[in-house]
Amino acid sequence: MSAGYARPSTSEEALELLAQPGAVPLFGGTDLLGQIDREIVSPELLVDMARVGLDHVRADGDGLAIGAGTTLAALASSELLAPYAAVATAAGLAASPLLRNAGTVGGNLCQGTRCWYFRGVEWHCWLAGGDTCYAQIGEHGKHGLVPGDCISAHPSDLAPALAAVGARLAVRCASGERELALLELYRVPTQERRSLLTLEPGEIVWEVRLPAAPDASAFLRLGERRAFSFALVSVAAARRGDEIEAVAGGVANIPVRVDPGDPLAQLPGNPQTMWKRTALATLVSRALDTIT
Amino acid sequence: MQVNGERHELDTNPARRLVSVLRDDLGLTGTKLGCGEGACGSCAVLLDGVPVNSCLVLAGAVDGRSVVTIEGLSSDGLSPLQRAFIEEDGLQCGFCTPGQIVTATALLAANPSPSREEIRAAMNGNICRCGAYPKIELAVLRAAAEAA
Amino acid sequence: MKRIRQGKMVYEGFEFAVTAVYDDEDAALVPWDADAELSVVGNPVARIDGAKRVSGSARYTVDVQLPRMLHAAVLRSPVANARLERIDLEAARAAPGVRAVIGPGEAIGEGPSPLSGEPQFAGAPIAAVAAETLDQARAALALLAPELDVLPFAVDIEEGLRAQRFTNEPSEHVRGEPGSYESGEVRTELEIETAFHIQTPLEPHAAVADWQDGELTVWSSTQGIFPVRAELAARFGLTPSSVRVIAEFVGGGFGSKVEAGAEAVLAVELSRRAHRPVSLVLSRHEEQLAGGHRAATRQSVRLAARRDGTLVASELDAVIGMGAAGRMVPPVHGPAMFAYTAANAHAMRFPVKLNLRPVNAFRGPGYVEGTTAYEQAIDELAAQLELDPLELRRRLHVDHDQGSGLPYSSKSLLACYDRAAALSGWADREALRARRGDDGLLRGLGCATQMWFGSAGPASECTIRIGADGIATVVTGIQDTGTGTLTGAQIVAAEELGLPLEKVRVVGGDTRPEVRAPAAAGSVTTASVTPAVRAAAASVRRALLELAGERFEISPDDLVLRGGRIQSRDHALDCSYSELTDALGQASVEGSGARTLNSDEFAIHTWGCQVAAVAVDPGLGIVAVEHIWAVHDVGRIINPLLASSQVEGGVLQGVGYALSEERVIDRTTGVPVNATLDDYKVPTISDAPRITIEFIDLPDPVAGNTAAKGLGEPPVIPTAAAIANAFAHATGIRPRRLPLTPARVLEALA
Repeated sequence: MSAGYARPSTSEEALELLAQPGAVPLFGGTDLLGQIDREIVSPELLVDMARVGLDHVRADGDGLAIGAGTTLAALASSELLAPYAAVATAAGLAASPLLRNAGTVGGNLCQGTRCWYFRGVEWHCWLAGGDTCYAQIGEHGKHGLVPGDCISAHPSDLAPALAAVGARLAVRCASGERELALLELYRVPTQERRSLLTLEPGEIVWEVRLPAAPDASAFLRLGERRAFSFALVSVAAARRGDEIEAVAGGVANIPVRVDPGDPLAQLPGNPQTMWKRTALATLVSRALDTIT
Repeated sequence: MQVNGERHELDTNPARRLVSVLRDDLGLTGTKLGCGEGACGSCAVLLDGVPVNSCLVLAGAVDGRSVVTIEGLSSDGLSPLQRAFIEEDGLQCGFCTPGQIVTATALLAANPSPSREEIRAAMNGNICRCGAYPKIELAVLRAAAEAA
Repeated sequence: MKRIRQGKMVYEGFEFAVTAVYDDEDAALVPWDADAELSVVGNPVARIDGAKRVSGSARYTVDVQLPRMLHAAVLRSPVANARLERIDLEAARAAPGVRAVIGPGEAIGEGPSPLSGEPQFAGAPIAAVAAETLDQARAALALLAPELDVLPFAVDIEEGLRAQRFTNEPSEHVRGEPGSYESGEVRTELEIETAFHIQTPLEPHAAVADWQDGELTVWSSTQGIFPVRAELAARFGLTPSSVRVIAEFVGGGFGSKVEAGAEAVLAVELSRRAHRPVSLVLSRHEEQLAGGHRAATRQSVRLAARRDGTLVASELDAVIGMGAAGRMVPPVHGPAMFAYTAANAHAMRFPVKLNLRPVNAFRGPGYVEGTTAYEQAIDELAAQLELDPLELRRRLHVDHDQGSGLPYSSKSLLACYDRAAALSGWADREALRARRGDDGLLRGLGCATQMWFGSAGPASECTIRIGADGIATVVTGIQDTGTGTLTGAQIVAAEELGLPLEKVRVVGGDTRPEVRAPAAAGSVTTASVTPAVRAAAASVRRALLELAGERFEISPDDLVLRGGRIQSRDHALDCSYSELTDALGQASVEGSGARTLNSDEFAIHTWGCQVAAVAVDPGLGIVAVEHIWAVHDVGRIINPLLASSQVEGGVLQGVGYALSEERVIDRTTGVPVNATLDDYKVPTISDAPRITIEFIDLPDPVAGNTAAKGLGEPPVIPTAAAIANAFAHATGIRPRRLPLTPARVLEALA
């Protein structure tokens, strides 16, 4: 790999390095390194964030502040997360134990799709900057339910869970910080810009901020085997009083809110993915049973 | 970097993967490269006591940290866990075995008396294509029981 | 007196001519039948090389590091079918660190090159480069800049069939009267599709070749050091004796590593050109693309029976996806033709040519595919006859091989059914299904018969030496890929020599000692090698007894070796083995033995029954295999500990085949989309069912003097069928396609 490597020890240093063109943040590397190996991305500089002090979970007012560099393992086992059952569950079921020891919250939220055409070295697909969405004309049984230029499915378990409990993100760059709702991190890729993230160059997810815990929450997923599989479909649901927030992963390019009363609305699917609608409905129903 | 208690100074591209540094530069071939992408766990090592896929760790990231490989776990003779693997036959071709033992060592250090469910939850990132899973579970249970 | 005899050996269902060289004494050994009093054999013994494997000191081919060793990389076709128009070999030759380049069209010894300018599948090798570092080799590949004229391709079995494009002639297999199907009172038809199934050894295909001064040493991740040696010697015009193949530790093969393979051939040629050792290791992507796979099939089974279950006709049409080339067409028709008594049987095999990696062996080739379809059809027939599935199978039991007419040397299948039924609570099967618990899961039990070849064959040799240290060194030609066969050799030698296990060492995995053995495949190893080991040990025993007789002035016929001691039958003499071996000084006592030929009078098969308990989540399509009961008749069990490990391993591969493993191919480009370990889903420890194992453990003296049959493949053969039958029992639905992924299950239940 020809990328340079830097390991800053302060936030200022890190953000300055990230402001350079071709610089990308490196946390656990469990997604980024795979993309580099398959030449999906070719960064000029890897900015190792390990010493910037982003691996914290602490009380923050009524809620929590979680550094983007917190590993999934730390998140899953943190007592502070226990009241946010959906998040703790999602963190504990993602990937594998070894990957959870390295993979971080920030990395998990910003990871690329697992679509096998996107990841495959034999294709240069639309999302990767090419001309054709091979999935739509090929094998897309695991893909999203929403038609569009790209039908990849969002792979993160944490994203729906954090969104359902009302998480907000602090995003930083060299010139400052802004806050956004978790789902505002994501965008449907467009012809002009193929990214799934709303981050501008030089920006990095810095911290996840949770409000007070919901009255109840749950996270359920369907994988391809009993463990160590990206979710084919996942649902996180949280209840505050009578209000229910439900968010699904694996059904569209990005995590999407679903209407608990009509979860399949606007998720038409196609012949290869019809089965996924059944699974989604089941997960929503079971999640609701758990939290009500 | 510190590997198995020994300090090493290497002049190498910090973006190289730890698994390659261990195998090719330090001759520690006990850590295996099964896939290179974190999907099999054969390359597991302990990084500051925590089991991780060394194929996804950069050499530069290990600076100032401690790595323990399967050789480090065997330097004082076989551990009780390793002996339990032999006695229960928790292995067949043996290629995934160093990774299994690294992960199981960390498990028992954190949880000396794991249930079957806890063993599975801790070790389902270590693939065994030969299918030694039932006996891997027995080996870990045996090592836990013998230590108690 | 030495004999040289020609005979036959059945290997993966194919018959081969073999030569056995053995001594009359070897043939005179009384097999260890049911009356034999054995003290070591049949007890659990830990793996002989376990310490090396658990400590990381075991050296696999991928671990071999030689001075001045080069690293090779292979340029592979990124498309399913193409013609190479141009390639820049010179640019690669000039690249930094490159020491050798081979292009397509260049001769590599005798025989077709593994490189081709007309690659017929994605992953087909086009060119190879050796350089000082792997990075340099890979960089050089990019400079080759191949220009490929992309051609039409076919990756779909049905398309290949319609186009009548075959790798081998379709074959027809007939017994009795064709067309008897119509005359059955009860008829059932079932069509089942199975997928390409990838061996996925964790150690990829790899070879290190060192060609120096007319001598070639090759480290190969192989199941067959002698077949590899023969292949390389023939190709490169060397005498076999000047080729040494080493496979001390192999990280799994499962059938994919029996021949020399492109990696060994290319490594040798690169080494020859560069005058340096060369290591060629496949990346995981290359392994999943080009390492091999089990054939995909579409099978139509037709069964016709009388009301009492008697089969009037057993028929099969099997369309077999072979990949780009064929050699051995998998015997998918075996179960349909031979598993049960049927006066009339008919099978057609259509081996279809596709632009995919040619099919190679994967644990139980043909029989896994065939059993998966056929055993489901048997269950359908049982349902129509309103017979219990096991009861139908009992009624169809056959005691002879319907192909050759020979009786089976041993067949405890009925006992397997009985034991599997008892262990699994089969009698309560209907109550289990009817009882829907709080968890909302649908439960069922299903069974399947296992049948496979159990014999073995020459050439299988052994020499044993014992010296003054009292340690017997057993030299074999086998490579232990995790099957535990070296430990089996240790046990058998210890038994025959009357030595404790710790006094017996075993050498294997190297052709240098020139002691032959078959490849570790076809389930032949234990049944081939243990008789040779026993014969060699018997030879050493005789020699030691003669020495003892001379030393103690007692007739050798009155002496026994037992438990590390030499004893006279009247117990007047009882001394330590070392009393005898101490006197050897610098010398040793040597004995050798070989396996004799197979019997002409019997067919030697293994049998079994597996029962699966599944719980199906109808809302998500998840099939949980809660329990597998595996009862197998493989003759005498040499080592129950390692034997049960083989069963567990086979069952787990069967679970993967049933639920999650399949090669997925993009129809637009013909390129596999999931040639990674990430997207090809093998079972994790969390997917492992509870596995209860029982061996009938009845010695089969016809199988060899150790009365053991082969065990490597039987356990994977019936598992998927049992799971599919359990699924049908639980849900009332029989999906036509495996694996039973959540998507397929939800579609089937919808």
